Amino acid sequence: MLRVQDVTVAYGAEPVLEGISLEVKAGQFASLIGPSGSGKTSILRAVTQLLRPQSGSVALDVSLDEVGFLFQEDALLPWRTARQNVALGLRIRGLDRKEAEARAEQWLSSLGLAGFGDRYPRQLSGGQRKRVAIAQVLALQPRLLLMDEPFASLDAIVRTRITQELLGWVEREHLTVLLVTHDLEEAISASDVVYVLSQGPRATIRSRHEVRIARPRNVLETRRHPVFGPLLRGLWDELSGESPLVDYAL
Amino acid sequence: MKTWINSTIFRRSAALLLLLLLWEALSRLAWLDPFYAPPPSRVAQVMFSLFAEGGIWPHLEATFTAAIIGLLAGLVAGVVLGFSAALTPILAELLEPVMIVLNAIPRVILAPLFVIWLGIELASKVALALILVAVLVFFAVHSGIKDVDHRLVERVRTLGGGRRVLIREVYVPSVTAWLMGNLKVAVGFAFTGTVVGEFVASSRGLGYLLQFAQSTYNAALTIALIVLIMVFVLLLFSVSELLERRLLRWRYIQEPAR
Repeated sequence: MLRVQDVTVAYGAEPVLEGISLEVKAGQFASLIGPSGSGKTSILRAVTQLLRPQSGSVALDVSLDEVGFLFQEDALLPWRTARQNVALGLRIRGLDRKEAEARAEQWLSSLGLAGFGDRYPRQLSGGQRKRVAIAQVLALQPRLLLMDEPFASLDAIVRTRITQELLGWVEREHLTVLLVTHDLEEAISASDVVYVLSQGPRATIRSRHEVRIARPRNVLETRRHPVFGPLLRGLWDELSGESPLVDYAL
Repeated sequence: MKTWINSTIFRRSAALLLLLLLWEALSRLAWLDPFYAPPPSRVAQVMFSLFAEGGIWPHLEATFTAAIIGLLAGLVAGVVLGFSAALTPILAELLEPVMIVLNAIPRVILAPLFVIWLGIELASKVALALILVAVLVFFAVHSGIKDVDHRLVERVRTLGGGRRVLIREVYVPSVTAWLMGNLKVAVGFAFTGTVVGEFVASSRGLGYLLQFAQSTYNAALTIALIVLIMVFVLLLFSVSELLERRLLRWRYIQEPAR
């Protein structure tokens, strides 16, 4: 589904990422973890062509129209209502306003935001805005979902709840996902495979770990699975040695 | 009742009334020379006669016509040039130095030149109001586009939006917010340009009347005209604010309790 081959990304003279290779198979949930500032986001930006790698290639089995990108910030248009924000992508895809907004309303309802369609982003809480952003992406029915620490700004309860809802969608729809995060527990509980990025500059893929926990998963229950603890400890040890300032959520 | 007394509007109005009463008393007691500082009652009398005798109307019409045309033309010119420069780098290279120079100088110094080029009638006043407003709006639009939230641009791009969608969904609303923030200043600039233009050379308008009042040392008429211009500009400020609240409804809407 997604193959990143020997990608090097540089913003100045020195590369941020060097020789990055990773693969996410169809229907697989992959996570990319690494120290802050190691260039995790740059990989997603390279996949969506928001930046051009210095060298290497990105191969997708789907068109860019079938790729959904969930940003760290909700990045909703402040001058559009929740419904209009969700409808925007659908209208860009050619649906007329009425149909796009009707579908947007359905997506908002399915994410627990029935009756919130007329509200502007500043009238919504952080969790509600994040749900609108998720609806905006899922409404386009992507086959590949890229997520850049999408829930980092939320409190633990809301974060767990929304992660579980999204995981449910991903499992039901068999979506392929690449999640960038620095939360090791989140990475393990949601993923089939975890890639570890080394400390930048010139960050590389340091290791790859498979998470052998059956689906469907419950993000809280998963943490009690026998595989979870040893894997978490292994990743923690690996990254603690990698980063002089330990900033991983355990 | 208590809430009403504690309100800011009440306190400000009371302070203004007190100041006017003090001024009136000092003038009547001859502690202030009425030749230089005529009492408010004399200013009010002059203002009343201006309207009662009807002599003010052609001047009001001249000033308002020039200011409104200058304001609208300046808004259009500033928006078009600002958008074009922000989206076309080669045009920005040509326009930016001109606008920076025009912004750096006190633009009212162009008034005599416009009189020479366009005569003492409406056109020279419109031109001065236009140039004052257009430069302000150019920078507001230019900054509005250059400082647009790049996260919104990337969001729309990842949803599949191209240049047209970006302009419609991100740039135009972002620029509207900047523009509305500067609309009140633009209204003030349009009146400044018009009145200064009339002051330099004209046969009608509030600036012309001001020039006449100054040359005849008529302080009561001068103050009456200044008050009149202030009242009209404040009225236009209110209209601008209503427009801003309507167009930027999303910004003023009440946030829910968290």
